[in-house]
Amino acid sequence: MVMIEAMNLGKVYTVKKKINFFRSEKQKVSAVKGLNLTIGEGEIVGLLGLNGAGKTTTIKMLSTLLNPSSGKITIDGLDAVKDAIKVKRLVNMIAGGERMLYWRLTGTQNLRYFGKLYGLSGGELEERIHDLLEEVGLTEASHTPVELYSKGMKQRLQIARGLINDPKYLFLDEPTLGLDAPVAKQLREMVKRLAKEQGKGILLTSHYLEEVEELCDRVYIIEKGSLILHDTPENITASVVKNYHIKIESSALSTFQQNRIKQGLSGCSIEFSELGDSTEMHIIAPFDPTALIINVCMKESIAIQKLELKRPRLEDAILTLAKGKLA
Amino acid sequence: MWLPFSATFQRNYLVMKRAFPWSFFLGHILSGFYIIIFAYLTYYYVFKGDLSGRFSIYAGTDDYLSYVILGGLLYSFSVSLLMIASRAIITELREGTLEALLLTPTSRKGYFLGYVAQGLTRVGVEFTVITVTGYFFGLHLQNINWLSVVVVLFILIVATFSQALVLGSFMLYFRDTYITQNTLFVLMGLVCSITFPAQFLPEAVRWIGSIMPLTHGVDALRMVWIEGKSLSDILPYLWKMIILGIIYFPIGTFFIKRMEKYVLEKHFG
Repeated sequence: MVMIEAMNLGKVYTVKKKINFFRSEKQKVSAVKGLNLTIGEGEIVGLLGLNGAGKTTTIKMLSTLLNPSSGKITIDGLDAVKDAIKVKRLVNMIAGGERMLYWRLTGTQNLRYFGKLYGLSGGELEERIHDLLEEVGLTEASHTPVELYSKGMKQRLQIARGLINDPKYLFLDEPTLGLDAPVAKQLREMVKRLAKEQGKGILLTSHYLEEVEELCDRVYIIEKGSLILHDTPENITASVVKNYHIKIESSALSTFQQNRIKQGLSGCSIEFSELGDSTEMHIIAPFDPTALIINVCMKESIAIQKLELKRPRLEDAILTLAKGKLA
Repeated sequence: MWLPFSATFQRNYLVMKRAFPWSFFLGHILSGFYIIIFAYLTYYYVFKGDLSGRFSIYAGTDDYLSYVILGGLLYSFSVSLLMIASRAIITELREGTLEALLLTPTSRKGYFLGYVAQGLTRVGVEFTVITVTGYFFGLHLQNINWLSVVVVLFILIVATFSQALVLGSFMLYFRDTYITQNTLFVLMGLVCSITFPAQFLPEAVRWIGSIMPLTHGVDALRMVWIEGKSLSDILPYLWKMIILGIIYFPIGTFFIKRMEKYVLEKHFG
């Protein structure tokens, strides 16, 4: 099958630790340990973890920038170390921030330069530059030096640079870092299109978990270089976060009505607080209790003024996992 | 190799057009100019035109000013070339474009050659300015074997480019340009027969000059420029430069590649 496959991937860095002003000693630090990962065609895969989890190192190994210390990466059957030159034609990487562009060149000149480094030339290159600039909405600014671009424009040009070789696999390392909400939304839509319409396999790291939840078909969660969970965002959330939270504001409740609600929602934790002529209920349940609570309220003739259901999100799952690790 | 060569040449040309490196350009011209003016003043006002007999024997000429001006000219030429090639990768690193470059399957040879070829256009202007300046301070322009001058310069460029790859590896390892390059340049100014023949130096340090392509280049250039000697007369010097180039090139290529990985691990790991 055509895909990226990382098997038992490991990366050990040698770092110097200062002992005193004159002396330092070398230490081995494992940034990635025995990671197994796959990315299929047209699939968006998330790679999550706290800072220093090994996400960037993993992306750099997959994109041939770093050689793994152990394990193997194959991309469409090619070895990422031995066949690095061939692999480089199949992949590209886009990092958040304002690096990876020549600020004194214009948008067009940047794309032309990188296109030539990928072996493109003539009409084919010019056509691709034109299409990409249009795709990322930079046609009007195509002849403006990058140093005059806004952060969002630089990021959009980076995306165009990352697509200049029409890669089959794209690695996105915090691509929406520091972007305005509308620009970030545009980028997410573009990423979806690239995967679903053009069949590109995409690996995404992001600290914006709603973005990962919205885009990713599968998510790998790594901690200190090791894989701790791998599943769809929904399954991860369901397996890690057990509780639903509901807040209901209703007409003032008598003690009797409060007891009836507690009886009707056995197995749930319910807290009542008085808000003048109304009552607020905070329900925590291991299932979605919306239908049940509405039913009880109707039976008891309780007027619901406001109902707010907080579904478990991937962010809750990551926070739960992080709490567990930090505790 | 042609595409990365032309792409890098064009890229650097555009960057130079947009932000001409005036400080480097003037700095290199001034360093050549200072050598000339220093030699001129000391020759006329300190030594009163009185040369040591040993100078004529070692240098093979009594024309001290042409000797020094050509030394300054080639020193400045060599330093410019070394700086252009050796700083290529560390500049990419500092500007945050190294990863984007290394992601591409491009030929590194084409990249470096494009970088150097474009840089040579600037070095050529520096060379001309120093030559013209030197003329007003006593550099003679008669009896020059121009074909031989071109050959000497070409071989010197190739050998110096190879040396620059080694220097560039050191720069990447130490993540420094200033101390690394200037240490080499000071050493070159001292041991490469720039302002005085290397034979005046103690035996123990003369070997340092012999491993610098500039030493042989400057000796050869003086022979074809001052004495109008032919290519066959300077063949030993040309061979020494070629051999040094052959030695430096694989060493530089090997270490540059290693250092590229090294800095990526060091900086971004």
